[in-house]
Amino acid sequence: MRFDRRQTLRLMAAGTLAAGLPRGASAQAEEFRVGALCPVTGAGATFGAGMQKTIIATAARINAAGGAAGRTFRVFADDDQTQPQAGVLAAKKLLEVNRVQAILGTWSSGVSLAVIPLTNEAGAILMNTSGAPALSVPPANAKHLSYRFQATNDRFGRAFAQIAAREGFKRPATMAFNNASGIGNTEGFAKAWKAQGGSLTKAVVYEPNQPSYRSELQSVLDTKPDVIVMGSYVADTAIILREWYQTGATTKFILPDWAVNASTIASLGEDVLSNCITVESVANEGSPAFADFDALYRKEMGAPGRGNNYAAMAYDMMVLLALAVEAAGPGADVAAINARIIPLSGPDGEVVSSFAQGRDALKAGRTINYDGASSVLDLDQYGDVTPDFGAYKFNGKSFERKYIVKI
Amino acid sequence: MEAYLLAIAIFVAIFTLLTLGLNLQYGLTGLTNFGLVGFFGIGAYASAILTTHGYPVVAGFAAGAALAVIAAWPIGLVALRLRDDYFAIATLGLSEVVRVAIISEKELTAGVQGIPGIPRLFAVLESRTWQPLLLLAVLVAANLGVVLVMRRIARSPFGRVIGAIRDNEEAVRALGKDPARFKTQVLMVGAGLSAVAGSFYAHYVGYVTPDQITPLVTFQIWMAMILGGTGRISGAVLGTLLLMLLIEGARFLPDLLPFVSSTAMAELRVFVVGLALVLFTVYRPQGLMGEVARR
Repeated sequence: MRFDRRQTLRLMAAGTLAAGLPRGASAQAEEFRVGALCPVTGAGATFGAGMQKTIIATAARINAAGGAAGRTFRVFADDDQTQPQAGVLAAKKLLEVNRVQAILGTWSSGVSLAVIPLTNEAGAILMNTSGAPALSVPPANAKHLSYRFQATNDRFGRAFAQIAAREGFKRPATMAFNNASGIGNTEGFAKAWKAQGGSLTKAVVYEPNQPSYRSELQSVLDTKPDVIVMGSYVADTAIILREWYQTGATTKFILPDWAVNASTIASLGEDVLSNCITVESVANEGSPAFADFDALYRKEMGAPGRGNNYAAMAYDMMVLLALAVEAAGPGADVAAINARIIPLSGPDGEVVSSFAQGRDALKAGRTINYDGASSVLDLDQYGDVTPDFGAYKFNGKSFERKYIVKI
Repeated sequence: MEAYLLAIAIFVAIFTLLTLGLNLQYGLTGLTNFGLVGFFGIGAYASAILTTHGYPVVAGFAAGAALAVIAAWPIGLVALRLRDDYFAIATLGLSEVVRVAIISEKELTAGVQGIPGIPRLFAVLESRTWQPLLLLAVLVAANLGVVLVMRRIARSPFGRVIGAIRDNEEAVRALGKDPARFKTQVLMVGAGLSAVAGSFYAHYVGYVTPDQITPLVTFQIWMAMILGGTGRISGAVLGTLLLMLLIEGARFLPDLLPFVSSTAMAELRVFVVGLALVLFTVYRPQGLMGEVARR
């Protein structure tokens, strides 16, 4: 079967018409419309599906509990493909066609930075998990409609500096994977460390995907640091640690937690790992909110919630948004709801850990502080979370939390 | 809805410029350029850097196009020696060189952080309807201009020579023409066009990072050209439109098929686009507009 040109064009025209038919986007007054714009495909695909399902399931749960201020939540899901351009189109579709009042779950900084002018223009709320510093400040966040549920790389760097000081290191060096996140970590560290009056022996940025990092490592070790602060990922970290061990040097390492996983622990062993301190933004594990999230995540994804911290953030986004809708009262517009978000995240007020609990407290006229599953939130004036960080050391089997630093 | 359709139309128009450039290079001349995105990136970054430093928009467009043309010139020299697959790999390499250079030149390009806050075109028009409409009108005019010029080129003596190069380079050489010179010229024109598309893209999206200039863009443009019909100028336009409709139309599938979860749908969409491409090559190998297979 072959089509000639006319037939093909006719088919295409029919298809286009069918695809373009308007379909019911009839707005109900008692509905708050939410876009779940997550990286379901592309580089963020590991996290995106879980984030999106979490948002949908959390909204369903809030609706089942009676909704907020008489409104139910309707979620429109879309995929940003981890690409700014696809994110722009998806956001336009959500804002214009589905008329969402908030977009939740953009993950990559590129997507968030491309989407934020659109949400600002439409007066919609944006909740993201991106690291780029530019997101907090004007022009991007000129209207204070954007919230970041992930600790910025800069804050990670500050936590590194506190831990390095507490451990008594004097001569740190840094090694960073050449991307925004890797460099953000080590530069954040350098800034904070220099503010404490310290100096670095060396700061190296390496290109990813190499079979060996020996020359970069050697150039750092030549300056005789007592600790190397890393902004790295799993694959490169494993190679660097192995090559470091082969040199016989006695340096220590401070690493972000995402640079070490179970296979790193299995392949490297105690001799190497006992020299490492990993740093993690403390997900509120052990909190009731985390238990709630974990149960929901297991049901949706069939996997434990601690494997996807971004889904925990997505959970908190939906709950905090619903609480803000409740606090703003029936019929409130987006601006009024937006004004409630930061105060509800804490740190002041009665601690609540679920939507139902928070709503009941709000109804009773109390001030609340929602402590989430991903962190205690406590959004600052820029809409960035201020989580606590944990320092973890190796106990022979796994990394164990030794102490918590506040920045 | 209108604003969303406008956004799609603007992306279609931007990518049509790229497809037209590729069509000139591959469809008309037979140059397998896998490095299209490199020139696109040069345009996008030239505009981003210059306009965020206070230079006028026109300067960004001009500098982008000029730089891309200059960058294409040595590739033209390489094209003297390499043909087909080897040339494809060399151009793919060039586009990666551009990307890595952008990542490394932190002073100028902010490296992996990217450049946010690129001013919109016609931002003086505050209206959310008129600003994109005017932009679209300008893009359509640009495309029309390019289409007209391409048609003139295709029918000119120059066009007959490059067509002959595509069909049989040895014969052209035997007739006393210098294929290398023509190929270099075609490459430079196509590169300039890609850079202009890049400038439009940067101004529209408002944010550039090295992540946006990956080979994936190149291959999407190739898909558009193949769908439309290689060597047909109208095919380049319709192919881009079709590709975008496939990609964007799939966004509405969850509304039509409520029994499939929207998360699964996102994954399905990639599959749908791939399937369409496969079906096209099976049932309509000459593309949407290609009437006869010419090769």
